Amino acid sequence: METSELLESGKFLLEKWVESENTPEENRLDIWVSTTNFKSAVQSLVENHWGYLVTITGMDIPPVTDPDDNTQPGQLEAMYHFANEAAIITIRVKVPYSCPQIETICDLIPSATIYEREAMELFGFDLLNTPNTEKLVLPDSWPEGVYPLRKSFTNLQDLESTTKEQTND
Amino acid sequence: MTKPKVEKFIVPIGPQHPALKEPGNFEFTVDGEIVTDAAVRLGFVHRGIEKACETRNYIQDMYMLERVCGICSHVHATAFVLGVEKLAGVQAPPRAEAIRVLASELERIHSHLLWFGVAAHEAGFDTLFMYTWRDREVVMDILETLSGSRVHYSVNVMGGVKVDLDDKTSDQIKKGMDFLEERTEYYMKVVTTDETFLGRTRGIGTLSRERVDLLGAVGPTARASGAQRDIRVNAPYSGYKDFPVKIVTDETGDLEARFVVRLKELYESYRLIKEILEKIQPGEITTRMKRKIPAGEVISRVEAPRGELFYYIKSNGTEIPERVKIRTPSLCNWGTITDVAVGHKLADMPMLLVGIDPCFSCNDRMVEVRSGSQTSQIMNWDGLRKYGIEYYR
Repeated sequence: METSELLESGKFLLEKWVESENTPEENRLDIWVSTTNFKSAVQSLVENHWGYLVTITGMDIPPVTDPDDNTQPGQLEAMYHFANEAAIITIRVKVPYSCPQIETICDLIPSATIYEREAMELFGFDLLNTPNTEKLVLPDSWPEGVYPLRKSFTNLQDLESTTKEQTND
Repeated sequence: MTKPKVEKFIVPIGPQHPALKEPGNFEFTVDGEIVTDAAVRLGFVHRGIEKACETRNYIQDMYMLERVCGICSHVHATAFVLGVEKLAGVQAPPRAEAIRVLASELERIHSHLLWFGVAAHEAGFDTLFMYTWRDREVVMDILETLSGSRVHYSVNVMGGVKVDLDDKTSDQIKKGMDFLEERTEYYMKVVTTDETFLGRTRGIGTLSRERVDLLGAVGPTARASGAQRDIRVNAPYSGYKDFPVKIVTDETGDLEARFVVRLKELYESYRLIKEILEKIQPGEITTRMKRKIPAGEVISRVEAPRGELFYYIKSNGTEIPERVKIRTPSLCNWGTITDVAVGHKLADMPMLLVGIDPCFSCNDRMVEVRSGSQTSQIMNWDGLRKYGIEYYR
């Protein structure tokens, strides 16, 4: 099948849940879905054997304060890339820092566990019902609640010195 | 009467083991000799390269990303450069794209030969290991002549390549390919007819086509189970548009198939390299490219020796990327090990692990043989390897 036809068929499968979409490159389709519909969308692709899960990319969208002092709270975005030959569909979910919860997809795609563990460790996603929450890449002694791929993280020494300053105060 | 306590016997291997050169940890739960569960612990050499990319400019990133891996260094730089060029709307000249493919294929040859040697060593077939590594020197010498370096060739620059082919190098490559082709014939014969070798590979670790889809396996591991999954063919990039490759697959899905697929891929690489040398057109090898990259995001996929390598790059319009995500092929092939290991003998583990060609810099790992009872047993990789060889003696 041609790449465009593959994208069409994938789009048809996901139509019900699409909140917004974008075609950044000709072989790609990005689809934003809500956290509640997310799992049904993934299930639809898996059940119809549309490609395979390539990986989960996490992204940090730090809080922004505009000139009027309105603060846009920080968000995390998870991108689930599915590839079918040259076509790539990315299912994207945005969650706030305060409630970074996304349903696990390990029951649908067992191999997703390794990507989910990575997303939890490095970004602080809360993947509900994921089978394995053990550390994957960070050392066992890594402090709780510190997520190295968030933009606010610089390095551990900085973290220590700020806590020291705070205790000195 | 007290019920006999059901105890799990877990065999931990690693993270430090002398046979594999990098750290990783595996835990095999065993019932007698049969493995009933397997787990992996990575991260012993996690270097935080994705984070580091966000503090360096694109050119620095390119050189750093090449150092993700010491075996498939060129593909990392290529995946990154192709992505950034796409964002910038720059197309490298055809000659440059051909040289990128040439380097990729030379790298595939050296990587497959290296793997073949390691696999032979794990099987206790050290003569074969010595042979393949000796022959691998031919391609290493070619890479050194071409780029000045044996490991990190740094062939790429933004908008092209920085090494060019001359007649003398072409000659050396052609001669090298002829020699290696002859040697590969011999290896093919050993892999498909040698009784001792077949005893370790035939019917072991069979992975079905359905499991490949479910587990998201890539590269030779997937192709050995009949999956038509090769980015060079599915989504041709760079010079593969002008120089197409044939996809190599096998139906059986066992360890032997993984050997055969990789060896057949070597033939395809030799053929492609000779074709490039014959047909390459003279011309420019670089185009100019601005240091600031327009905002946007791009996905770049290339076929590394171990399978699909995936890059996601997001630019915010400056000289420094906003986010770089790397998904290396070894990582998704890991799932197949924990799946396939169950039901096999502990003695088969070294060969099974080596069958996916695990790359430790792609994602680090080790094996641990842990015990819940008093009969604790720690095995290092060397110990496990010897155990496997003894078992099959």
